[in-house]
Formats: sequence, structure tokens, C-alpha cells
Amino acid sequence: MRALQRFAVLCLILVLSAWLFYIGREHQVFLDNKTIEAGGQSFRALDFVRVSVAGKPPVELMPRDRDVMAAVGPRFTVKVELMDEFGEEVERVVEKEITPGFSGDMMLSLPLLAAGRDDFLLPPPTAALVREDREDSEKGEPPDAIFNGPDKEPPL
Amino acid sequence: MMPTKNGFTNFIAGSAVPIIFILISAAAIPLSGFSATYLVQELLIRIGRNSFLILSLLIPIMAGMGLNFGMVLGAMAGQIGLIFVSDWSIVGIPGIVLAMIIGTPVAVALGFLCGSVLNRAKGQEMVTSYILGFFINGVYQLVVLYFMGWLIPIGNPTLVLSRGYGIRNAVSLMGMRTILDKLIPLEIGPLSIGAFHMDAVTIPAATYLVIAVFCFFILWFRRTKLGQDMRAIGQDRVVADSAGIPVDRTRVIAIVISTVLACYGQVIYLQNMGTLNTYNSHDQAGMFSIAALLIGGASVSRAGIGNVFLGVVLFHLMFIVAPMAGKNLMGQAQIGEYFRVFVSYGIIALALVLHAWKRHRDRMEVRGALRDSQKTGKGAE
Repeated sequence: MRALQRFAVLCLILVLSAWLFYIGREHQVFLDNKTIEAGGQSFRALDFVRVSVAGKPPVELMPRDRDVMAAVGPRFTVKVELMDEFGEEVERVVEKEITPGFSGDMMLSLPLLAAGRDDFLLPPPTAALVREDREDSEKGEPPDAIFNGPDKEPPL
Repeated sequence: MMPTKNGFTNFIAGSAVPIIFILISAAAIPLSGFSATYLVQELLIRIGRNSFLILSLLIPIMAGMGLNFGMVLGAMAGQIGLIFVSDWSIVGIPGIVLAMIIGTPVAVALGFLCGSVLNRAKGQEMVTSYILGFFINGVYQLVVLYFMGWLIPIGNPTLVLSRGYGIRNAVSLMGMRTILDKLIPLEIGPLSIGAFHMDAVTIPAATYLVIAVFCFFILWFRRTKLGQDMRAIGQDRVVADSAGIPVDRTRVIAIVISTVLACYGQVIYLQNMGTLNTYNSHDQAGMFSIAALLIGGASVSRAGIGNVFLGVVLFHLMFIVAPMAGKNLMGQAQIGEYFRVFVSYGIIALALVLHAWKRHRDRMEVRGALRDSQKTGKGAE
């Protein structure tokens, strides 16, 4: 009976740990505003866009910009406001609920998201780029690859 | 006449350390030039930050094992939990609780090891646990510096040293910094009593709540069968053994509980700091906690919850005011820094000397009383 009680407590602690992991995970959400090829089509980078993740203050992105925001929890909303060319009027708003669950960081392709496609989630650049940055730093170059991306200027 | 003189001597001997500190603080506060608001705010933060760690020392004292210098083992366990939580990017309250859960089995294992070793070194628990702390520190460094990122997978590249394995010297805990402190926002003041004025201060209410729960746990624990056994062992180990109390097992349990609580205390401490110094944070946890407890009037064989809070207030009051008082007095803040480090170690030495002196005096008194009774017996014959 005592062993059974101990086993039950152990199971309870494991379940609690898994739940804490699920609800407390912070996700690095990379926002990528670059021209991208998908499904045989090319989606141009958005001219001027304002993006808010999980209700936080929005960030503004120009074409070929990349930024990162943090979101906590298994579910959050991304709000993309497409601005006019002067950056004054909001032309269109796209809102999407994202459910990363147990997965970690992610990158959102804003052109794909604005186009209403479901394949807007891209693999995060963190691991590969930090490795590159480490090599760069050993060479004495500044660690900026995470925000600028590994690729050079994509054709617009 | 004698009882009064003895009572006064006992009072001075028992309260010498707090009295010295009250006098030092009373002199240093005006010299520092800090406002009452600043001092009260700093003290409120530091009470929340440190009390849990210091409270974890009470149970081994109850079991007659002296000051548990081995509490650094628990601190290391808490840090291992925090490293994993940072690796998995768990933030906020879930991160704090998960770090405690991960640290618990490590703390239990280390506590068991420590308790077992201390059972083989009865009477020299303090020095043994102190040296054991150094030994386990070496094992901790081996694990964190060489195994993590190599044998133990660490996925977050910002935590790992540039060589590809080993944890960096500083781990940011920004995702959980002061999360517990700010969980229940509470502000009191402004307050004016006569010439005394104090602006509003923020109280880390949730942390205080956790500490209050811990205090009630200790009060409840003292009344349990296990608590009574510990007290019996603390009073006389041989008599407790004769009474059928499993002395060794109870002592191991006392150390395990203390180590686990130190693990939680370190997590609470570091969430307040917001940065984990991977290879240094635990070093000072034991020394400063023990110094604070002794400054509160505790001794090697007797400590209560009141000693914890008095100690944390006096010790940290000196921590706050000493550098500025040193700067204003001597023109160098470094003097104050030296002073407070010197005082931390010095106060432990003083408490140990006072304890040894008191024990010697008690023995002499018992011996004298025995001699008197023998004389009286012979006279009657």
C-alpha cells in the first residue's frame, strides 16, 4: 500500500512537471519579413508592417527585416498590421493563433502569413546561426547573424 | 546574589553578538546617510531573499548537529534545477517550481550522502559538513563544467561555453527575476510618525507568504513524532538511543530535510537576484546564512525562528550601510566591503568561541555541583 502511495505521488509530480513545462515554456518567435518561395510562387517582403506577439507592444519591420519577440505558454496570438507606404494607415490586419505546444522556438514568415497560407512557420535560425556567430566571433566579426539571417540579400 | 549575577552573565553571553551588531548598526546608519525609506525597502527585499535559506538551518540544530555548513549541497541542487529550467526556457512561476522539483531528488541524494558521512563523524559535524561542501563543490564543477553539454544534453547554445561543453559563468534568469516577489503586489506607506517620515515601500508579499508557510511548517514539525525525536537526540544522543529512537536514521532525515529546503531557498534567492553565477553563487550561501543566524543570537546548539529574522535584519542592515558608512568615514567604500566580509567570518568564529566557552563553563558548573553534593554526602555520613 505504501509503495503504491509513493508511486502515485511520483506520477503526480511527473505530471505536474510536464504541465509546468507546457505552460511555462518561453518561445523565441522570429519575425521574418523577407521574400520567400513557397508552392512554386514567390511572396514579396511586405513594405511596412507592424507585428505584435502575445499582446506585447508591436515591432515595426521593413522589407528584409528580421526581429525576435518572446511569447510564454502553449498558445498565443500574432497580430500583423499591414501599413500603407507612408506607415500611417493600417490597410489590413491579420490575426493568427499559434499553438507551439511543447515545441521550442519558431520563425514566422510574414509574407506567407499575410497571404493567408498555412505554411508560414519556418524552422528557427537560432542553433545554426549561433554556431556561425561563434565561428564569426572567433574570427573577430560581430555576432549579428541571428537578426540579419545567414543568407545575403534575397532577390526582391 | 549569585543567581542574579549568573543570569546577567548568561544574558550577555547569549546576546553578545546581537548587542554588538545593534551597536555597530546604530553607529553606521547615521554615517551612511541613507534615508529610512531606502533602508526599509532594502531590508524588506533582503528578508524575502535570504530568510528561507537561513530557516533551512534550524532543523539540524534541533537534531544536535550544529550549523549545517553542508547546506551548500542543497544550494548546488537548486542551481542544477535552474540550469535545466533555463536550458528549456521555462520562465515565471512554472520555472521556479520546476527548478525546485528538478533540484529535489538531487538535494535528497546529496543530503543522504551528507547525513551518512556525518553519522560517521559524530561530534565533528560542522567541520565535516564544511569540508564535504568543498568536496561536493568539486563534483558539481566536474558535472557543470565538463559533463553538461557533453554527457548531459544542453540544447540552449547561449548557456554553453564556446568550446561546446560546460556551462557559462553567468546564467541569466531574467525570465523569472523577482517573479515571486511581484506575484502579489503590495505597497505600504507613506508613513509619518512625528519627525520620522517614510515614503511608500513595496513588500514582496508572495515570498513572505512562502516564508510564513515554512515557519508554520517548522512549528508543526517540532510537535511531530519525528520532531520530538530530533529534539531528544539534540539534548542527549545516548539517552535518545537508549529510549529506542533510531538516532542515525533521524539525523540523516534532519540533514536531508535541511538540504532540500536549502535547495528551495537558493531558488528563491536566485530568482530575486536574476542572475546565476554558476560557479560562485552557492559558495557564499552557507557562510552568509550561518553568519546571519548567529548574529540573530542563535548558538550552535540552540536556534529559533526569532533568531532567523533578527539575524537577517541585523546582518543585512550592516551589509547595506557598511560600504557607504566606510566611504563617508574613510573616503573609501572598499573599507566597508572589507569590514562586512571580515565581520561575517569573524562573527562565526566569535559564536564558535562563545559556544565552546559556554560548554566548558556548563561542564565546570556540573562538576562543581557534583563535588559539592559529594562533600555534603560525606558530611552527612
